[in-house]
Amino acid sequence: MTEIIVVTSGKGGVGKTTTSASLSCGLARRGKKVAVIDFDIGLRNLDLIMGCERRVVYDFVNVIQGECTLKQALIKDKRLETLFVLAASQTRDKDALTSEGVRRVFDELVADGFDYIICDSPAGIEKGAHLAMYFADRAVVVVNPEVSSVRDSDRILGLLSSKTQRAENGDGKVREHLLLTRYSPKRVATGEMMSVRDVKEILGLDVVGVVPESGDVLAASNAGTPVILNEDSDVSRAYEDAVSRLLGETVPLRFIEEPKKGFFARMFGG
Amino acid sequence: MPTTNSILKKTGLSMKQPADAAREQAVEVRFGQVGILQVRLRTTQPGEILDELTGKTATAPHFFDRTPVCLDLSSLPKLPSADDIRGVIDVVRRAGMMTVGLAQGGTSIEELANQLELPVIHHVRASTKSAPVVQPAPPVTTSAPESAAARPAAAPIEVRASAAMARASTQAPGADPVPELAAVPPTLMQTQPVRSGQRVYARNRDLIVTAMVAAGAEVMADGCVHIYGPLRGRVMAGAHGDTDARVFCQQFHAELVSIAGVFRVFETIPPELAGMPVQAWLSGDDLKFAKIGE
Repeated sequence: MTEIIVVTSGKGGVGKTTTSASLSCGLARRGKKVAVIDFDIGLRNLDLIMGCERRVVYDFVNVIQGECTLKQALIKDKRLETLFVLAASQTRDKDALTSEGVRRVFDELVADGFDYIICDSPAGIEKGAHLAMYFADRAVVVVNPEVSSVRDSDRILGLLSSKTQRAENGDGKVREHLLLTRYSPKRVATGEMMSVRDVKEILGLDVVGVVPESGDVLAASNAGTPVILNEDSDVSRAYEDAVSRLLGETVPLRFIEEPKKGFFARMFGG
Repeated sequence: MPTTNSILKKTGLSMKQPADAAREQAVEVRFGQVGILQVRLRTTQPGEILDELTGKTATAPHFFDRTPVCLDLSSLPKLPSADDIRGVIDVVRRAGMMTVGLAQGGTSIEELANQLELPVIHHVRASTKSAPVVQPAPPVTTSAPESAAARPAAAPIEVRASAAMARASTQAPGADPVPELAAVPPTLMQTQPVRSGQRVYARNRDLIVTAMVAAGAEVMADGCVHIYGPLRGRVMAGAHGDTDARVFCQQFHAELVSIAGVFRVFETIPPELAGMPVQAWLSGDDLKFAKIGE
């Protein structure tokens, strides 16, 4: 049974594409056949984060408009053999996306035996974001522990429960998961930043993961290697935990406490 | 569906600022409760209606003279035309009564009311008992009250006293409204969280929310609003003017509370109410708040 997961947020710049890339790699590493699709037509960046920008020949819009086959457009990842990327068009705009076209692409992916289709949503609530979530079975709502991001995510959660195919057909809700990103336990401790509990209380949902703020994310984008593949990073471990939870495992939350300095670190600073 | 702005304009109340000194206004609008006769039609045939009505008015001519009535079209076999109703209004006038509105009954009634330039009267709670409940005037002839009482069950009209939410400042003379609930739809139950940007409206009934109301969300009802969860958004009870409507919530963090158009914005929540179970009600023109249980 193919599962369609949308990674969305409302607010821009919170870590949707970073998350889409890392979750897709995490699932593919466990042997799942995964397609990750960029819905941000005209402002594509999933291909950059995945490191395949120089291999994009055909894109999502080409497929929808019948200018090429899906197989021609899907880019196989060099590191993980069950992972495929479908880039967005850079030259068209979002009007080129149609609901019917997206449905046909999904039907073909399902027929091809994909286990997961990850939809990287653009920011906002307009057509691109709407189509990215419309056919979803599950949603990962990426939130920064910050007031505007929380408010926008609340709006997105409202749309997930009303403007999706599942909502319209009464087919059971889209399963909602919160992913807290750019979390800094130190700033939470000083009261500057909202805590996990604050976000859970305002949005009324449990988190599927907490990803710490880290310079590793920028380094990963620059290298075109999704951060989950960086074994030395806490961010990678946090995303691994999130993948486990999405697959139904129970894993305690990490990276929510300020790391305690060891004796020598305290004595000698650092 | 009414938005905050349309409710406030419709009720015509000026904003109640807490610390304003009273100013002389050219017009003061107040809510009053009035007994209104509801005339339920089973036909639009003017002849039959006039016969029946004059029979009834003969039993108590002073009571019925120039009395306001509201026409209930719900028992008619099919939707009448505006001209049909004009004919009815004419004979109602000839029987001594004055039509002031149509009883609510969906969009088709609203369109008819628009064409006839009459208001739609909401919340008409009519007695299930037929016959005017007033002291009858001394009968002019002995045959008149008997003929009224001996009417067969399939009378072309039914006249009932009722208490309507229509507004006037005086009661109809001798009116003794016997309010009994006519068929009122059940409370609207909202079990899912109401998220930012969403709006829930319970028309002609109460609203119960058993989850949270997020900041930027709006919950509204013509009756009361009960929120068994945190209230962080906007709530409007008594949306069509019911001043008895109340708001109840489990955890008070509201952005705005309005009852029958009288509203208060909460830039900061008073510390004694913040996060507490709170109820809000209208006392005269003042919006009052108190912890539930006090």
